[in-house]
Amino acid sequence: MASSSTSVVARPRASKAWVAVGIGVLVIGGLFLIDAFAPAFFAAPLPTRAQDGLTLAISVLIESLPFVALGVVLSIVVQVWVPPGVIERWMPRRAWARRMVLSLLGMVVPVCECGNVPFARGLLMRGFTVPETLTFLIAAPIVNPIVIITTHQAFGFSDGILIARLLGGYAIANLIGWLYSRHPDPDGLLTDRFRETCELVVHEPGGRGRRSLAQFVIELRAVMPALVIGSALAGAVQVLIPREALLAIGSNPALSIVAMIALAMVVSICSNVDAFFALSFASTFTPGSIVAFLLVGPLVDIKMLALMRTTFTTRTLAGIVVVVILSAFAIGSVVNLLA
Amino acid sequence: MRSSGYLATRWLGVGLASVLAVVTLGLALTGRLGLYINPESSWFAVGMSVLVLVGAALSFTLPLGAEADHGHDHGDAADDAHDHVDHPVHPVALAATVAGGVAASGVVLLTLVLPPTSLSAELAMSRDVGAPPLFAGSDAVILAATGDTTSFGVGEWATVFATATNPDAFDGDTVTLTGFVTPGDGSAAGFDLTRLVITHCVIDAQPASIPVAASDGLETGQWVTITGTVSSTSDGRLQIDASSVEPIDEPADPYEY
Repeated sequence: MASSSTSVVARPRASKAWVAVGIGVLVIGGLFLIDAFAPAFFAAPLPTRAQDGLTLAISVLIESLPFVALGVVLSIVVQVWVPPGVIERWMPRRAWARRMVLSLLGMVVPVCECGNVPFARGLLMRGFTVPETLTFLIAAPIVNPIVIITTHQAFGFSDGILIARLLGGYAIANLIGWLYSRHPDPDGLLTDRFRETCELVVHEPGGRGRRSLAQFVIELRAVMPALVIGSALAGAVQVLIPREALLAIGSNPALSIVAMIALAMVVSICSNVDAFFALSFASTFTPGSIVAFLLVGPLVDIKMLALMRTTFTTRTLAGIVVVVILSAFAIGSVVNLLA
Repeated sequence: MRSSGYLATRWLGVGLASVLAVVTLGLALTGRLGLYINPESSWFAVGMSVLVLVGAALSFTLPLGAEADHGHDHGDAADDAHDHVDHPVHPVALAATVAGGVAASGVVLLTLVLPPTSLSAELAMSRDVGAPPLFAGSDAVILAATGDTTSFGVGEWATVFATATNPDAFDGDTVTLTGFVTPGDGSAAGFDLTRLVITHCVIDAQPASIPVAASDGLETGQWVTITGTVSSTSDGRLQIDASSVEPIDEPADPYEY
């Protein structure tokens, strides 16, 4: 692959680079024109349900794209720009202590659940182990300042919902990190495709600017289709599964938890705002079921699973889903008994 | 084959992201971003979209396929063993990748060419769980008690109606509200005035509705502006006695935030 032509183009003259950027700008300008004028030709409305599903999917896409972009930028920063050893020097030596520190990383890294995936991929490429990265990935959507603030706004300290959510999320993350640290072959938890990407990125030639661009291309390729498909599924499921079917279950202590876990996986709401969503169920559902909703939603909803599938095997994800759901059920039951 | 694969890499990554960034900016420029997300977070969506487009324009300087360049000059004798392009790909996995790519492209292209729309009244009704959204929380009730209800929308009034402990305090307040018609609970002549309330983006939209006493005859989903007074019914609930119900077109800002 390292033919002579590639190595020549790898060091393009400045004018050549400007021509390339010019083409890029033209293409983007063309997209703007299509966006402005094409809707006039598609005025006939879709069937109501299909249109609602699409509207929901688009709203998730528009809302999460900035976070994914931020995650990709951070992933480029940790992979390309932070010199080797700078992060590692600050980390504890012992594996469990490292995981406990990493599960608090969400407090300082400004990404929510969607942006976490590209960022976590960056951590893996940098050389963090699979269990360590998983711990971060599972903890960060819950143990982060924005989620703490919005959950507090919604529930205050009533019924211990905020405390159960924070401690529960932290505990589940470390439990999963510990479980997978016992795995004999941690690399086997990753998809072949992601391992190949790691191989590529580590040996990527050229200066930092070029490596950053290559990482930009690679990470968007990995995340965008999954994000789009996850959002489309989330939109479709919402218009296909009647919400009453889940909510008819009502206030039974055990069944209400199951219902809210199912709802959390279906609705795919950002962890930043799901507390407000859950608040409107607080009058009809048990506090434990609300806690289960707030624990499961950020970790393993449909959109998140599609994103995580870019990096982890289906088998790994199945294990994570089982651990998260069982833990959330257990924590929810304890809250119901105490409240 | 190889170069078409590299093109697919660009389209499915930078391409899809760019289309969505263009859609976001297009909506923001025409003031319609509120159809999908809470305008409070527009600055973030717009800023990151610009960044995606800048990155996309710059990515044209990277030769096609260069992102898959191993940099084989690092002298690793075992290079060929991990040359990813030559890996045999399972046909099922390949089919899944292609199908996923086509599906994702389809959704994103629909986003680009279809006009933006708001959620339907049917969806609002199917989401009604019988409990009012409590975003405004106790603030709305306190505000209402002090008599400053001029800025109230359907969402705030629904909260007040559901939580007010002394309904008589609001008796006689005049209101002008805009929303769409959904069927009432049938206990009185009239309909429910409904509006979807958004916290962050449309996927967390929840319906808020208040009962309106008026002569019937409006179609479900019809947008109306009503003027009337708050009154408490004999069983202690609040409703709005409409003095005028005016059918209107869907407003440019169909949601409350």
